Amino acid sequence: MACLHDHSCEDHDCSADWSLYKHIDISKVTALNEAVPGSVKSVFKAWEQRLSSSEEHLESNEGDPELLVFIPFTSDVKIKSISIVGGAGGTSPSKMRAFINRDGIDFSDAQSMQAIQEWDLAENLQGVLEYQTRYSKFQSVASITLHFPENFGGDTTQIQYIGLKGEATQLRRDVVATIVYELMPNPSDHKAQAEGGGGLSHVE
Amino acid sequence: MVLEATMICIDNSEWMRNGDYAPSRFQAQADAVNLICGAKTQSNPENTVGILTMAGKGVRVLVTPTSDLGKILACMHGLEIGGEMNLASGIQVAQLALKHRQNKKQQQRIIVFCGSPIKHEKKLIEMIGRKLKKNSVALDIINFGEQDDGKIEKLEALLAAVNNNDTSHIVHVPTGSSALSDVLINTPIFTGDGEGGSGFAAAAAAAAAGGLSGFDFGVDPNLDPELALALRVSMEEERARQEAAAKKATEEAAKQEKGEGQPSGTQDAMMTERANVATSEVDNKANDLMDDENALLQQALAMSMDDPDSGHETRDTDMSDAAADDPELALALQLSVQDGTKDSSSQSDLSKLLADQSFVSSILASLPGVDPNDPSVKNLLDSIQSQTEVRASNLSSQQKNEEKEPKEDEK
Repeated sequence: MACLHDHSCEDHDCSADWSLYKHIDISKVTALNEAVPGSVKSVFKAWEQRLSSSEEHLESNEGDPELLVFIPFTSDVKIKSISIVGGAGGTSPSKMRAFINRDGIDFSDAQSMQAIQEWDLAENLQGVLEYQTRYSKFQSVASITLHFPENFGGDTTQIQYIGLKGEATQLRRDVVATIVYELMPNPSDHKAQAEGGGGLSHVE
Repeated sequence: MVLEATMICIDNSEWMRNGDYAPSRFQAQADAVNLICGAKTQSNPENTVGILTMAGKGVRVLVTPTSDLGKILACMHGLEIGGEMNLASGIQVAQLALKHRQNKKQQQRIIVFCGSPIKHEKKLIEMIGRKLKKNSVALDIINFGEQDDGKIEKLEALLAAVNNNDTSHIVHVPTGSSALSDVLINTPIFTGDGEGGSGFAAAAAAAAAGGLSGFDFGVDPNLDPELALALRVSMEEERARQEAAAKKATEEAAKQEKGEGQPSGTQDAMMTERANVATSEVDNKANDLMDDENALLQQALAMSMDDPDSGHETRDTDMSDAAADDPELALALQLSVQDGTKDSSSQSDLSKLLADQSFVSSILASLPGVDPNDPSVKNLLDSIQSQTEVRASNLSSQQKNEEKEPKEDEK
């Protein structure tokens, strides 16, 4: 596997750099215009597995190459660069636009809003290309939204892997969002605790 | 318990004045909207619902998505009917209203009541559907009211364009006796995509199904097994009592030489049994009230049948239902009403009719629940025949005696 930087991979482990996927809040990742709901979660994986096409990948609907991916993090991160592995046959995305710390963006918003940064992508089937960010703007990112407006002429857009390189801080941008509250008690929300068994509580 | 923001698009066009859904199409729609709002807010307290109207002067948002049920119900008052429905604008405005919802975590859903013809092209409708799907907005379509050619096709195309993983639905509500809300309660629009539904939806469904053929006696055996059992037992006892009464009537009628008494007796048994299924005592009371109508009806029937001896007084019998239904039945009943009058001419008419075996069997065949091939009925017919002959011979002997006496007197 050739890396962009010219040294062989035996010396240092590239996968350590691309470890920001561990800080992604996978359950809250969403995508718009995906053909299979929930398939977007499969594109965030370890560096070594970025080319394994046996698993699912993210695909847009027939005849509509636009994709919008919303990625929230569990803590604030600093993003240095992004790597995208697309599909073959013209289904790789050709442009990427990023928005930071905004949720609930849909296609009309994405098309009208000014992105924080835009890139022109090349077909990157081997996963060797990475796209650097303007680091000063990506310093405390709680969520990033990636908009792929076009592809290389295919009917649909396929994305196999999205890699993020950077650092995770221990800070959290928006503390209120982590509170869980209930207006009405709902037993199905408490399954995890119930599975622990009806243990007795000790009072000593 | 899906967290959802819903926009309901109401059709308040001129077509909603029609009364084919009781009490009027618009009222049926309003009831359905109230039910939907209740179900949504109950299934998850953080759900929000908004309302907009599609006709009138233009598409107008009455209330933006809110969880305050009172506000929603209040805005349903004073809605005016008029104009033409604009489906495309309505859906687009609903999508815009959902986009600006306060809680971005809510799923987006639009519910459209489509009661008037659609004037847009199919392509435009499909494009709107695709745009909704792209922005992951689910759509529920309720098709009722006017059905013109192409409307169903357009709506199905819209559903196909929008549907993503079966989150969108379409419901066709035909005109009929059941209310719009009752039909909707059993659909996924209420029960929420097969998750098991909310308590509200389930309870409402059970209540509605009690009125339909879902449960016997209007009581859910799951909810109240003792009551259901008691009702069933009492129904069977009543049926047994009715059959016993019918048998007694059969025997008495056979003795009384009145054949028609039998069919009408069994008819009464059937009728009252049928009446029991609905409302037993109420029906009998209604019979008392309908005596005047009965008299007029029988007079009219008599005149139409050209029977000279139809000097009917009102008879207090359980024949009001039967008389209204079947002219042959009415004839049979009318003949039975003439029990009291021992008029010889009417007797002969009677016997002539009775002698007409085919006529009697046709009457019996038209009676519900009477099988002409039933052995008991056959026995009855035979007995009637023999009675007819006996009576005829009695009659002729009577007449002979009468003739003899004057002759003797003359002597």
